[in-house]
Amino acid sequence: MAFKISEFLKPKAIIMDIKSKEKLEAIKELVDHMVAKKFVKNGEEFLKALAKRENLESTGIGNGIAIPHARTDSVEDVLLAFARSPQGVDFSSIDGKPSYLIFLIASPDNKKSEYIMTLAKISRLLRKQNVRDKLMNAGSSDEVMTIIKQNEE
Amino acid sequence: MKFKKALVVLTDMTDQSVIEEIVQLCRKFKSKLYVLFVLEPKKVTRLSRMTRRSNDGVHKELSEQGWQLLYLVEDEAVENSVWTSLHMEEGILVSTVKKFAESYAIDCVYTRRSDETKRLFISCPAPIIGL
Repeated sequence: MAFKISEFLKPKAIIMDIKSKEKLEAIKELVDHMVAKKFVKNGEEFLKALAKRENLESTGIGNGIAIPHARTDSVEDVLLAFARSPQGVDFSSIDGKPSYLIFLIASPDNKKSEYIMTLAKISRLLRKQNVRDKLMNAGSSDEVMTIIKQNEE
Repeated sequence: MKFKKALVVLTDMTDQSVIEEIVQLCRKFKSKLYVLFVLEPKKVTRLSRMTRRSNDGVHKELSEQGWQLLYLVEDEAVENSVWTSLHMEEGILVSTVKKFAESYAIDCVYTRRSDETKRLFISCPAPIIGL
């Protein structure tokens, strides 16, 4: 059975227009949203794991994309969340440009291989210009879901 | 000699034990670790012909493998508090590594010793440690 990243993304885990302008604020806004929707048990612990990773590397991979991620037992399964920032957030990306499309990935410690595969698939998917353009222009969380489902292979 | 900036060139021969060794070396020398996977178009074409699969299909498989390797290194590095920067490039291995090493002023290069990587030992501007 093919591994599908769309299975880990739920419409409730999507923020169409994130308000925060700074990296850690944007990540916190996403984490708070995930806690409110009951996808994450311990927001503080998850935020700590994400911040640790952000201090050690840039999760801004260029082309307007950021993929903050961490392994944490604050989630029960692999989790994918999405937020879009119309004004862009500085994730210290390798190309120096702000990030407009933010995919947050979390996984419990015991699902490392699914976590790595999800990271790999989302990174590959977002290298495609047409996918990024469609996500920037998406009008709803359902549309975001459709774009991911139609373009993942 | 201080290895402030280290580059690891990943290939499909890179395994977990090599990743662990490299991360420990970076930890020891307090190096920043740049992680590079180069997807070679010639390799895609060759594999596509050998396996009778489409170029797109082989490209997809190799690029996903590359990303998986990149994130495996990153995961190990984060566990050991080693700074990383992940890079996926397409091109010819030797020239891409040379250009990368020059652009980022790399102090040393780590790679798994193999037939594929022995070409790097001749042209790389930084010393190479083969594991």
